[in-house]
Amino acid sequence: MTLLRAYLRGVREGWFILGYTLLLCLTFFIAAPFLMIVLRSVGKGWFGRLWLPPQLTLDWYRWAIEVGNIPEVMKNTLIIGAIAVAISTIIGIFAGWAFGRRHLPGKEILMAVILLPRMIPPITYALGVARIFYTADLVDTHFGVALAHVSVCAPYAILVLSATFESLDERVLEAAAVCGANTIKRFFYVVLPLIMPGILASMLFSFTSSYNEFTLTLLTYGPHTVTLPVRTYLAVGDGYWEITSAMAVIMVVPSLFILATIQRRAKPEKLIGGFKGV
Amino acid sequence: MTTFWYLHKSRLITGVLLLPALLSFFGLFFYPMLLTVTLSFRPEGQEVGWTLQNYIQFLTDRDSHWVILLTFILALGSTAVSILFSVPLALILREKVRGHRFFRLMVIVPLVIPGLVGALGLLLFWGPRGWFNLFLMQMVPFIQRPVAVDYTIHGLIMFYVWLYFPYTCVTTMSALESLDRGIEEAGAVAGANRWQVLRYIVLPLITPGILAGSILTFMAAFGAFSVPLVAGGNYRPLAVEIYKQISIPIPAHWSAASAIAVVMGLLQVGFLTLYMRFVRRGGGGGAAGGAQ
Repeated sequence: MTLLRAYLRGVREGWFILGYTLLLCLTFFIAAPFLMIVLRSVGKGWFGRLWLPPQLTLDWYRWAIEVGNIPEVMKNTLIIGAIAVAISTIIGIFAGWAFGRRHLPGKEILMAVILLPRMIPPITYALGVARIFYTADLVDTHFGVALAHVSVCAPYAILVLSATFESLDERVLEAAAVCGANTIKRFFYVVLPLIMPGILASMLFSFTSSYNEFTLTLLTYGPHTVTLPVRTYLAVGDGYWEITSAMAVIMVVPSLFILATIQRRAKPEKLIGGFKGV
Repeated sequence: MTTFWYLHKSRLITGVLLLPALLSFFGLFFYPMLLTVTLSFRPEGQEVGWTLQNYIQFLTDRDSHWVILLTFILALGSTAVSILFSVPLALILREKVRGHRFFRLMVIVPLVIPGLVGALGLLLFWGPRGWFNLFLMQMVPFIQRPVAVDYTIHGLIMFYVWLYFPYTCVTTMSALESLDRGIEEAGAVAGANRWQVLRYIVLPLITPGILAGSILTFMAAFGAFSVPLVAGGNYRPLAVEIYKQISIPIPAHWSAASAIAVVMGLLQVGFLTLYMRFVRRGGGGGAAGGAQ
């Protein structure tokens, strides 16, 4: 009997070790590329069959900042992101209110239609967007690039904010009305604080969308509106792997901040409306 | 006027609230899409006239058959590998092993990382001078030359899996989490062993979740642009082919690019419809979750 129990425990521990090994493999599989980027960005004279760079240097970062013009590029990216987030959040609040709180015939079909831009590959309508922007002189302006980003950010903001408004309790609003608050006061003192987490989540996701967006930017950017993904792409084309790695490290820092916030504040399942700019 | 206002007040307000969303939808998606479709029927470089030449040229070309096939191979291959990869992972992460929060975080890392950074890191790691080949050459006998991973089909599939498996994995995990443990216990009480519980109870119940997640992975992989652009080499799926049409020739082949874009959109929508029907009918064993 004890022998059987020991055998069973052994089997169990075997499974446990197997599972843990798998998890560690996953971690390595996901983390290894970052490790390589970081090493490459600080390594000097790293040729041939060496596991680690023989010398460390920060020269590549200096090159990235001076030659790659990273501060300027970062400024562009943030301005474009801010405009895109502002527009899509406003759209999201209005539409979310309509979807979440008002009687709307054909709600589900309308929602499916609004989410359509996330279902179709962006490159298909990016062509049309680029053509329109060329004729409307919106190419190579911050506003234009941001507007192009709105087409992918807005559906996501609408999705998140509709869910937020739907979960708003009607009775709280009624209580406020009974206490004598008018519509505007109700909105600013009752509704807004309650939906703030939803708004923040939607802003976060919209910003990540815009920050990572590559396809739409590539077709609408110009010399004055180079964003980080486009800059990295151009650097990859130039073939200087070390400088490109340094840029990639700079680029990934805000993403990691966002990741930490998401992990603490929001459930990862909620991100799965797909907010990646492929 | 006032009576009209009182009669339709509620509807008007709803309309006004929806106005910005509809404006952005029509202005930034529908109209550009329409423009792409019209452009695809125009003769190259002209603003008037109608022709089917762009479609005929693309659809009769042998290279483009290969491009379409390649796009499907990459998308379906990475979706299948993602499912194979995600299910055991989700099953393990369901048990609250030590550090499970950290592993969960690792799963969603590729979602927030810009695709280009991922592609760059993957190229560095799996490339001829990366750690993978260093390991093979130094630890495994008989391997003297680097094994080619980057710029090959299986390498691309692996890159896609790295980038897009979280969609499948997170959906599978949330499906597993909402599963009632009581059902499994009932199965165990009725005499099923662990494998049978997994095979006949857990897997059928989470299949809708897995398939819904796999749709997201498929869509992302089908439309993938930045990764094959950087790491594809000679393998150009549809998205890259479209971009090549407007970036390489001077003047740009807008009409040809539009025709390919329309074909790509139709293929994706058609395949998704088939897939959803398959999921609804039998694959999911009942109500399957939507694409969200």
